[in-house]
Amino acid sequence: MKTVDVAVIGGGVLGCFAARNLTRFRLDVVLIEAAEDLCTGVTRANSAVVYPGCDNRPGSMKAALTVRANASFDRLCGELEVPFSRCGSLMTAYGPQGEAVLRKKLDQGQKNGVPGLRLLSGDEARDREPMLSRAVSAALWAPTTGTVNPWQLGIAAFESAKANGCETMLRAPVVSIAKAEGLYRIETTRGEVAARAVVNCGGLYAVQIQELIYPSPVRLRLDGADFLVFDPLTLRPGHILFEETEAGKGVTAVPCPEGNLLLDSPPRPYEPHFATTREGLDTIRAHGVRLLPDLDFGAVIRSFGGVRPNPEGVDGRDIRDFCIQRPAPTFWSLVGVKTPGLTCANELGALVAGECAAVLGAERNEAFRPERRAIHPAPGSPLVCRCEGVSRDAVIEAIRRGAVTVDGVKRRVGAGMGRCQGARCAYEIEQLLKECVHGGTV
Amino acid sequence: MAERYDVLIVGGGGAGVAAAKALWAAGCRSAALVEEKPCLGGILRQCVHPGFGPGLDGRAYAAGLLQDFPPEFPCYLGATVTALEPDRTAVLFDGREIGFRVLILATGCREIPFGALHVVGTRPRGVFTAGQMQEMINCHGFVPRGPAVILGSGDIGLVMAWQLLRLDLSVTLVEQADRMTGLLQNQERLAGLPLRFVPDATVREIQGFPDLTGVVLSDGQTVPCRTLLSAVGLKPERELLPAGVPEWAVLAGNCSRIHPRIESVLREGEQAAGQALMKLR
Repeated sequence: MKTVDVAVIGGGVLGCFAARNLTRFRLDVVLIEAAEDLCTGVTRANSAVVYPGCDNRPGSMKAALTVRANASFDRLCGELEVPFSRCGSLMTAYGPQGEAVLRKKLDQGQKNGVPGLRLLSGDEARDREPMLSRAVSAALWAPTTGTVNPWQLGIAAFESAKANGCETMLRAPVVSIAKAEGLYRIETTRGEVAARAVVNCGGLYAVQIQELIYPSPVRLRLDGADFLVFDPLTLRPGHILFEETEAGKGVTAVPCPEGNLLLDSPPRPYEPHFATTREGLDTIRAHGVRLLPDLDFGAVIRSFGGVRPNPEGVDGRDIRDFCIQRPAPTFWSLVGVKTPGLTCANELGALVAGECAAVLGAERNEAFRPERRAIHPAPGSPLVCRCEGVSRDAVIEAIRRGAVTVDGVKRRVGAGMGRCQGARCAYEIEQLLKECVHGGTV
Repeated sequence: MAERYDVLIVGGGGAGVAAAKALWAAGCRSAALVEEKPCLGGILRQCVHPGFGPGLDGRAYAAGLLQDFPPEFPCYLGATVTALEPDRTAVLFDGREIGFRVLILATGCREIPFGALHVVGTRPRGVFTAGQMQEMINCHGFVPRGPAVILGSGDIGLVMAWQLLRLDLSVTLVEQADRMTGLLQNQERLAGLPLRFVPDATVREIQGFPDLTGVVLSDGQTVPCRTLLSAVGLKPERELLPAGVPEWAVLAGNCSRIHPRIESVLREGEQAAGQALMKLR
């Protein structure tokens, strides 16, 4: 049986960053993931926004971490070589209710220390964003809002953790956890691990994982959301737009670093297996047309559904802040981390890793190397994915780095994400996977 | 810049090949063709159904078309054009640049994927476009899993229904209109085969995860299936000219408009050659 200092359970963006931050200390770390690849659960569908910090109550952990995380995102993405676009955001209102929300967010944001916030009139907002509807009466401008690809960020963090010594167990759902002689014995379907400490980043299963050994006073309520992806060649806004209607939160429009526009719906009840819903897709269209009248819905290339776990107490009350449970001195559970979870993934990982290192008495790892190289294929390799310009060498490198499915290749290098949705490249990628994975090249 | 031509053809399918032959026949010796695949012929090469000229399938038709292709005509095979610069330069995937005076764009079309449709549900394995499946079966020997549902009874939908039935798969063909919409010859080929045709319907929901298990049609009935093909339309592939067609470019074949028959693709390729020569004067 393998014995390590820390076992991180769950390989979403949170688990990947927890693992990476743990390798900053002299700790043996293993990352245990149930699926065949990383970032396939909650991280799989995310609005890709790096928030400025206006949405959270002053004094909350979310407010403090978000403002700090936002300020460090250029450095983080520089280290990890992940594209990050600090395009700024406009939160838009159509009337008095929405404008009141804008003022509240401005006030909160200023108290939280968010730089550069400005309340704009409808016309000032349209000067910045000409696609905005005439119906927009006011907007809150936040210059520090940005967007990052959640998969690329999570996988980059994982690759960094791995390069700094973190081990991995994939396809290894955790079956039981017991504690004996100061060690957690974690039984997975692929063998047992003994660990001095556990960091549970189990996403949708975080409560069940904790309950394998400790009770959890926190439950998860699952919301869903629907997403539409537009062809990069269509006319799109240049900034992130948060629509605040007179009746509450509307759609979010995100011009992604890859050039696609992403529209996502307000929360709706979760459907299993990330299924999309009629009401979600209809809501996006209705709101999208209202916010951006010139948006071409004929340029939609994909719709998909996502899940957002909401933590709530046993009394059924929502827990608004990040919820880090610590049922024992050496067991951390990140339960129901949703917005702004992507923004704060590195901060949350650093927080837990710091506490963990202190408890275990671990020194800083002087050999830690923060830099991770993105996939840079040599020029001259033939293109596999014409839509996104992804070469054969890039696909092979993605496989070498751990992609085992066509989707895994897509998450790493973008092949199949474009306007033909893989119709022209999926088969070839499947063949490359067979050759490389089963042929022994990797 | 290493190479320069008066006319550069992008795309070596029916339209591009016809344009190249016409240019050569007209005496133009400063012309070249760039093709992404390692050989010429384009989509014809994945068509094993008859219906191309007198009883020929797409492959035989392509072979005939290429029989008198001028061997000296410069062809860049296995080369994707990634950009067309306004200074009349084509940039290839490997960074090579080819200069030209007139461009014939013959890049064909692409299929509309399920993702673009207003269909709800899961996103499982087993969902393809019809042409994608045609290539997988006919060029790579792939064997799809039945039963199958095909959405759209245009030509590609009908052709794929015929192919899947020949592989002994059970096939349900779903069509929004009240009758099949493809060419009569493609409808007639299905006569006597055990095809289940559902008119006045569409696919409303996709079910199953991680593998496809079925679809729900607009009338509420669930059709179990393990393969789902979309054959709901084609879009001209003109993304290399995102700002529209400049005065130095001519479109030919399916990137200009969708052609139901190969004959009109070839005719447009030949006409494009003529227009290109006019522009050179």
